[in-house]
Amino acid sequence: MVGWFGALQPVLVGAVLAWAGALKLFGHRAPALARLARRSALARLVGNERAVPAYRAVGSVELGIGAVLVLPPMLVAEAVLATVLCLGLLGYLAYARTVAPESPCGCIGDKPARVRWRGFARAAALTMASGLAILGSSWWGAALASRPLAALAVLAVEASAVVALSAELDSYWLLPLRRQRVRWRHPLAGSGGFEVPVASSVHQLMRSPAYGVTGGWLRSDLLDSWDEGEWRILSYSASCGGRPATAVFAVPRLRYQPADVKAVLVDEADRTVLWQFAPEPAVVGVSPSTTITAKMGL
Amino acid sequence: MTDIDRRRFLNTAVLGGATVVGATALGSVAPEAAFADVQPDLDPSAPDPDFAEGRITGINGSMLLVTGSDKSLHRIYVTSGTSIWKLRPTGADAAQVGDGLYARGVLLDDGTLAADAVWLNIVNLTVLITSIGKDVIHFDHHGDRVVGHVVLGTTAAVYNSTPPVSDLTQLKVGYHAQVIGAWRPDTNEVDLATVYSAA
Amino acid sequence: MASEVDAPFYGESTWFCCGNAWGPCGGTGHGACGTCNSGSLQCAWPNTSDACYAITRPDRCGRTGLLRWGCGHTFYITSRCNNARVTVRIADCGPQTDLFCGERDCCSNGLCARDRLMDLTPAAFSRIASLSAGKIPVLISSTA
Repeated sequence: MVGWFGALQPVLVGAVLAWAGALKLFGHRAPALARLARRSALARLVGNERAVPAYRAVGSVELGIGAVLVLPPMLVAEAVLATVLCLGLLGYLAYARTVAPESPCGCIGDKPARVRWRGFARAAALTMASGLAILGSSWWGAALASRPLAALAVLAVEASAVVALSAELDSYWLLPLRRQRVRWRHPLAGSGGFEVPVASSVHQLMRSPAYGVTGGWLRSDLLDSWDEGEWRILSYSASCGGRPATAVFAVPRLRYQPADVKAVLVDEADRTVLWQFAPEPAVVGVSPSTTITAKMGL
Repeated sequence: MTDIDRRRFLNTAVLGGATVVGATALGSVAPEAAFADVQPDLDPSAPDPDFAEGRITGINGSMLLVTGSDKSLHRIYVTSGTSIWKLRPTGADAAQVGDGLYARGVLLDDGTLAADAVWLNIVNLTVLITSIGKDVIHFDHHGDRVVGHVVLGTTAAVYNSTPPVSDLTQLKVGYHAQVIGAWRPDTNEVDLATVYSAA
Repeated sequence: MASEVDAPFYGESTWFCCGNAWGPCGGTGHGACGTCNSGSLQCAWPNTSDACYAITRPDRCGRTGLLRWGCGHTFYITSRCNNARVTVRIADCGPQTDLFCGERDCCSNGLCARDRLMDLTPAAFSRIASLSAGKIPVLISSTA
């Protein structure tokens, strides 16, 4: 039984290694791979200039070992080589995690994936599978032919485990699954309520004629905001002609009408209004006027 | 002036009924003056003297002591006219030792920065939405995992450049987004202010 | 019609951090040019090199006329909403234009800008807008 089980492992390990190696060598996004190699812990190990050649060399070894594992005949030496390679991968992951925890693994594909428990679990699983392959009693093709359904089931489960442990492949299955779940019932439904975010009022203010006139006077970000009936009041520190002031805007709270935003410039110390801006009221049946009226207190 | 009095005065001023003082009170107040093209003679490669970046290492009354990422030391003076952003506009008492900080103001002769605006822990991230849960959104930020917390009454979403709304149900897994939020110091978590995404 | 190849052009500007020792920015270093700092008046440009262009891909948004400018090139960035202006130098590659193709932002005066073509440091962005704004429409020019 162990011999039959071990005989199946080379096709899984070989396929994963060959795929990883092929991506490193022949992946069409070569500039992305070069960037990934330089950002990975491999660059720390061999130096920035040698990172890409080293990356491709690892790919060659992976492809070579993967190919001999898959192709007949089955030799124990191949399984030993694969086990050594996978142990080396485990060691590299430990090195990367210690020395450059923020760097991407660069293990499979060109999507950056940090070294996390899934990477370790995948490398450990491949190492165990390679070790079991040493005990294999025949070439994997013969093991498959002797009990095809059982063999396919075992390989399907193992391949699924490899995919589940590969963060680089999440966009192909995990994200679509999560997307579908969100379609059924969005977890954030009900988080919004009916309140109008302050950000919406600020957005409306920045697109208003009032802001167009006064924007150059503003010194601060939003100081304070509160609601007054149908209006949201926003205040900012301002400076005009060297005189410190407070700019106060009244933004329609429950409708999006930037043209209706009002503004004043006040001196809070002596409670005087220095400057006022009031939009022209729109005439019914006529498109909103863009003419502005600025009362200068004359 | 109490807060209530202040707001009452400002409401009256902006919503009508207040008398506007003479224009001479402001000097040149032509609207065009607001667009004066102020070009400080600054070397773009050197640190902007009217700007500070770093982490708060001490608070002494109205003075924030900040250590820059380049190890420079800043003293930031906060007044009632200084806006403080920490996920939302707030007061100076929201600042805590350990907060990340950006501040813009005017550099005084004694080397203190008189701050007009202070942003605490503000981050602006381009991310991939990888998962959405109850009041939480998980992001991938250049391979790093970032956890975004939805804050009721504050978190807003912008879909295809429309005004921000509190409805977050159009956010989709697998889509890229831009996130403005407040980083929770020394974690990979962010409280979400605004999420820009395609609907 | 002025070509964006040799004339000022419009685009959206966002802001980014570099050189920070805090926040999710902490691990990004000093940008592609090695000199980027959040406290300096600097920017990221989508076409600083072939490798940069391969990441930002403004051509996917139809913006095929962006000139190649390297580290240290000077831009003059003017906010379309309040005419505030800042002078910046290229210190990094960015923003990732092709992730938000067609995104549009407008001001009260009807002036708009499309696509993210500029990324400013916090020091630069806060000279022309509030950091909490996140992104603004701007005019991008290589001449003063």
